[in-house]
Amino acid sequence: MQSAVHDAVTRDSDIAELLRAGHRDRAFDVLLQRYEGKIYRLCCAMLRNRIQAEDAAQESFVRIWKALDRYDGRASFSSWMYAITRNRCLTALERRRSDSLNEGASETDVAMLAAPDDAFSTDRSEQLRELVELLPERLRRVLLLYYFQERSTSEVALMLGCPEGTVKTQLFRARAALVEHLKRRGLDDPGIWLENAP
Amino acid sequence: MNELPHGELHLALEAELERTLAPPELPSHFRAKLQAALVRAGDSSLSEARSRLERERREWLSEIDQKYLRLQRRTLGTMIGGAFAAGASAALVLPWVTAHLGSIAPLVIACTGAAVGVWIGVASWWRSRAEFDSRAQP
Repeated sequence: MQSAVHDAVTRDSDIAELLRAGHRDRAFDVLLQRYEGKIYRLCCAMLRNRIQAEDAAQESFVRIWKALDRYDGRASFSSWMYAITRNRCLTALERRRSDSLNEGASETDVAMLAAPDDAFSTDRSEQLRELVELLPERLRRVLLLYYFQERSTSEVALMLGCPEGTVKTQLFRARAALVEHLKRRGLDDPGIWLENAP
Repeated sequence: MNELPHGELHLALEAELERTLAPPELPSHFRAKLQAALVRAGDSSLSEARSRLERERREWLSEIDQKYLRLQRRTLGTMIGGAFAAGASAALVLPWVTAHLGSIAPLVIACTGAAVGVWIGVASWWRSRAEFDSRAQP
């Protein structure tokens, strides 16, 4: 994770430079351009509901905008922004949990994952999505972010604020759990999945 | 432990996961909505700043009022104390002054007392005013 943090600091040195020079608006534009997709995907992985993820991403950016003057440079920009976003998502999850306790409903949106393009794929992909949903929260979050972030474990580690080794271990466990579920459902024949491959 | 498992199933699963878990696209209206949210946040920041400044101004005025009241009471106390002290001193020195100056002794004592009183009053007022002005600077 240290090298990932170092890379992040180097990557964002231009933003820090703009802030030091007093160009707050320009600095925010650059970080928005660079991080809007990542922040949104982090929210999607944590909340698994597109509308709530969009709201959380926007609220995170508003907080980042307000707190930009107070950024002290102790952490990299990305770590700092991801921490703000994670806190925002945790608040949203907490609110959702208390709402669902009151109303007895869950607001996750499983269909937010990529839609398949033919009937056969629909069936297999749907099954895989269901299996992903069966994973424990922490494993599912890492798995989603890993594929959302073009399979970069270092970026996922930064996003979740944990060591890269933990991300790799959780990915391993998530895959092992998926294979276990596939075996239980009799879907462990590689042919089934290879047929599905484009 | 961290070594990823290999084999056909895992490779096939990996490919399918990559296809199924494609990154969600950022909504096209995201920027526009964010800009609107930032404008709203800016407005609320301004209104928060205004109420904070108004609160600080009220506190500052109330502090000045309290200081002014304290100053008034202290001045009044000093004047009353001074008058009693002057009266007592006059009563004590009057026999001795009468013995030396004769019948004009009461007039001399009254004039001296009045001069000392005016001098103390003016000096005290001047010092208090300077002190008050320096503290009242924001």
